[in-house]
Amino acid sequence: MTLDISIYEEIFTLHPSGALFWRGPKILLISDVHLGKVSHFRKSGAAIPRGAIHKNFELLNKVIDHFDPLEVYFMGDLFHSYLNGEWQLFEAWIGEQKHHTTLVAGNHDIISPLKFESLGVKVYPVIRKHPFFFTHHPSEEEGYFNFSGHLHPAVRLRGVGRQSLRLPCFFKNEKQMILPAFGEFTGSHVLSPGKKDQVYAIAGNEVIDVSPSFSK
Amino acid sequence: MTSTALFKIAEEWFTQQGWTPHAFQKDAWTAFLNGRNGLLNAPTGSGKTYALWFPIVLQYIAQNPDYKTKHKKGLKAIWITPLRALSQEIRQSAERVTRDLGTPLTVGIRTGDTSTSERQKQRRSMPDLLITTPESLQLLLATKGYPDIFRSCFAIVVDEWHELLGTKRGVQMELGLSRLKSITKDLRIWGISATIGNLEEAREVLLGPDTDHWKNSILLRAELNKKITVRSIIPETMETFPWRGHLGLRLLESVIPIIEQSKTTLIFTNTRSQCEIWFQKILERHPELAGEIAMHHGSINKETRLWVEQAIRNESLKAVVCTSSLDLGVDFAPVETVVQIGGPKGVARFLQRAGRSGHRPGQESVIYFLPTHAIELVEASALQQAVKSKAVEDRIPYLNSYDVLVQYLTTLAVSDGFYPEEIYPEIQSTFCYQGMSREEWEWLLNYIALGSQSLQSYDEYKKVTVAEDGCFKVTNRGVAMRHRFQIGTIVGDANITVRYQKGGYIGTIEEHFISKLKRGDVFTFAGRNLEFIRIKEMQVLVRNSSKKTSKVPAWMGGRLTLSAQMSKILREELYTASRPTSEQSIEIQSLAPVFARQRAESTVPKPKEFLIETFKTRDGYHHVFYPFEGRFVHEALGSLLSYRISLLLPISFSLAFNDYGFELLSDKEVDMQQVLDNDLFTTDYLLEDLQKSLNSTEMARRKFRDIAVISGLVFTGYPEKGIKMKHLQSSSQLLFDVFKDYEPDNLLYLQAYRETFEHQLEEGRLRLALQRIAGQEIVWKACKKPTPFSFPIITDRLREKLSSEKLADRIRKMTAILNK
Repeated sequence: MTLDISIYEEIFTLHPSGALFWRGPKILLISDVHLGKVSHFRKSGAAIPRGAIHKNFELLNKVIDHFDPLEVYFMGDLFHSYLNGEWQLFEAWIGEQKHHTTLVAGNHDIISPLKFESLGVKVYPVIRKHPFFFTHHPSEEEGYFNFSGHLHPAVRLRGVGRQSLRLPCFFKNEKQMILPAFGEFTGSHVLSPGKKDQVYAIAGNEVIDVSPSFSK
Repeated sequence: MTSTALFKIAEEWFTQQGWTPHAFQKDAWTAFLNGRNGLLNAPTGSGKTYALWFPIVLQYIAQNPDYKTKHKKGLKAIWITPLRALSQEIRQSAERVTRDLGTPLTVGIRTGDTSTSERQKQRRSMPDLLITTPESLQLLLATKGYPDIFRSCFAIVVDEWHELLGTKRGVQMELGLSRLKSITKDLRIWGISATIGNLEEAREVLLGPDTDHWKNSILLRAELNKKITVRSIIPETMETFPWRGHLGLRLLESVIPIIEQSKTTLIFTNTRSQCEIWFQKILERHPELAGEIAMHHGSINKETRLWVEQAIRNESLKAVVCTSSLDLGVDFAPVETVVQIGGPKGVARFLQRAGRSGHRPGQESVIYFLPTHAIELVEASALQQAVKSKAVEDRIPYLNSYDVLVQYLTTLAVSDGFYPEEIYPEIQSTFCYQGMSREEWEWLLNYIALGSQSLQSYDEYKKVTVAEDGCFKVTNRGVAMRHRFQIGTIVGDANITVRYQKGGYIGTIEEHFISKLKRGDVFTFAGRNLEFIRIKEMQVLVRNSSKKTSKVPAWMGGRLTLSAQMSKILREELYTASRPTSEQSIEIQSLAPVFARQRAESTVPKPKEFLIETFKTRDGYHHVFYPFEGRFVHEALGSLLSYRISLLLPISFSLAFNDYGFELLSDKEVDMQQVLDNDLFTTDYLLEDLQKSLNSTEMARRKFRDIAVISGLVFTGYPEKGIKMKHLQSSSQLLFDVFKDYEPDNLLYLQAYRETFEHQLEEGRLRLALQRIAGQEIVWKACKKPTPFSFPIITDRLREKLSSEKLADRIRKMTAILNK
């Protein structure tokens, strides 16, 4: 179940996978996939199950089938580390896609942009589409609303009977939206929302606006 | 030389010192010189080091009659100590023997503190007698050509074996010994252990069940009848004594006269933070003691600790506030009195601490027990009983610890490589892996060589490679280097060094505490008030501060549980509450006002009663159960019961437990009659239900952390070097989920569950507890407000969770309620 929100009169759809769809120009935003992480660990002697490698591609296919975008922006940290066997899987996967693909480079993206460009993937440090601009690290720029990733945001909710829950989330304020990490095996970081922040938590197959918990 | 002549040498030495050897010392000499192995049960300070250093040196003399003029080089004997802090002391006693007997034998130490240059020197020429730790021994096995180092070794002594048994360091020791048996000739293996319940088993674990070494072995007990007196410190007015708490500061003033009246007093606390607080508060209220008291715990730097230990021996300190860091080794003759603050949770530990005092012959050991809250007085009373009956608990050895085996096999692969057919029988001969099947063995080999069970073409897994002749070897230098850093099985929270900005090491602290500090915050550590400046390259930089502070670092892992024996004695003591005053201990008598309050609201259970209390507070609906079985059993029982209730209706619980009982807290009221009618305490489907309760997954997830580190799945980084291996860091939590989804039959993943059931939930004890409850009459009291018994439980903030409600529903409820 997805959730629609509006930013500067544009409609954006939040998907429980952590992807975000800009409806007008049909652009799908996906952040922090960390492809190649499993292989990187295995190469160093830590036997992480290989099954997790394919899961990322299954999830990508699922969300792309759902939205059928014209363009996909990977919002940084698409690959976890140096080139390894998962690059070939990515190469094969890209070959099957109809949409354009762009990478907004992040701190983990240390693979040469030329490698990406040879697959038809454009690489930029920042993309501007007024009034929005897209970066890997959360940023601020006068007159623009920022979309970013990097933080792997999560939120902690508390309830009666000393209950508590920790959930990955989309984290929004007046000037920016931070996407959760899309990848399997990536982890998350708990943020403490302020009164004016909007928080959309991912609860299994749903995206739920939990901002009221923090607005009092 | 005949054994009589050898004996004469030893006895003459004792006479020169003005001592007479104990019977157990002579028995150990005889057994050792007769070529036997064994376990020596002797307390600290009884002369146990001389019981085994002597025959080792005598053996060398016997084999080398011209020992005074000629020196045969090479390692002769290894002495394993679990604490490297003890190695100096052991070296001194060894050197005394080698020197006084006129032998040329050299004594060396090899631990984590040994410098690289010293280590290299040892590699070229080993000392004759080597004092080392289990981890450093493993590191020697990771050295190229290690069999040559050990070839001439004829004895190995494992000191404080009771401390290693029941831990994975013990398993590591079993594996190391299994290798040493093969690469040496006539190796004599000896252990030294304090009194524990399962000494016979301890010997079997050390030597290997049914092995030749075990068959040719002996259990020796030092029968030193030591009088132990336990005195409880009883608060003068029970009305104002707290119902909960764990610090015990309320009774601080009662400790002062004890300190004053005795030459040296050791004050044992249960956690390092408690130790810091007590030290601080004593000085605050009694500044006249400055310079006369000191503090000792595992996170304080080595120099300070050594200084404190020396000061105790010199009698220059009146008192030392300490933790289990002073439980072991080092003989402190001047200690006259011991104070235990808060429940020691185990009889063996309590006896050992008591034994730190009154070392001189004929002296009695005196230990004071200081309760930190009212109900702990019941524990005080129980301890009196326990000491009388010497009800000492067992140390349960680990079985099939695959993580340690993966580490060990990689160690062998890092040095010379290994052939499975040669190593397999050795591993099967250990206690830990006696039940391991051939399939499991094959699985492990595949795991270290292929990374799982099937090799796929584009897989890049690199760890151990199999040579054409079948030798398993690590060829990748990076893998080898990371493995050497990772050897060891003690896993703690990531530790971080605390230093003055101007230079000067203070100690180590858990990262999770530091992560909560902001620049300028002041915290108490190592008895000082320190201002946090910043973190730089894995170091916390601080400066002294004169500000008062309440922030004290909490160290994890401080939570112990009551043993089965202790729980039983505790229940029996509690039951005396309903008997005439004349049949009650002084501690129970002093609790009369608390019992009166408890009775006014609820009841004090009698022997055949199982008490359940329910009441409502602002936090929600409390359901409190009192089995009096110890924290771990309560954790399991709480988990089981909440799971079974959650099958009846969608509900969310948060669980709390202590040594006396457990609580299920919810935003809904549970119909207790329904719980009783549905027979939810049954032992039927016990294991299945426990496994299904979400809680066991959470517990296994935590166990998996150690397993992931030990087996090398998670790399913790290069200690002290500050090199961050960011791309190789991941949390074991994430890994656990990946295994759950993609490789649920992985033996390391399954081990996390097995350890949860065997070591944490204590399934066996749980079953017995449920059977006992089945024979009891259930007394359910619907109360208006919290009772004295419930107070320590319901105020506990460390909680487990269990829910059968839909996630989205829970979120909507939380969001709605908070928004009201």
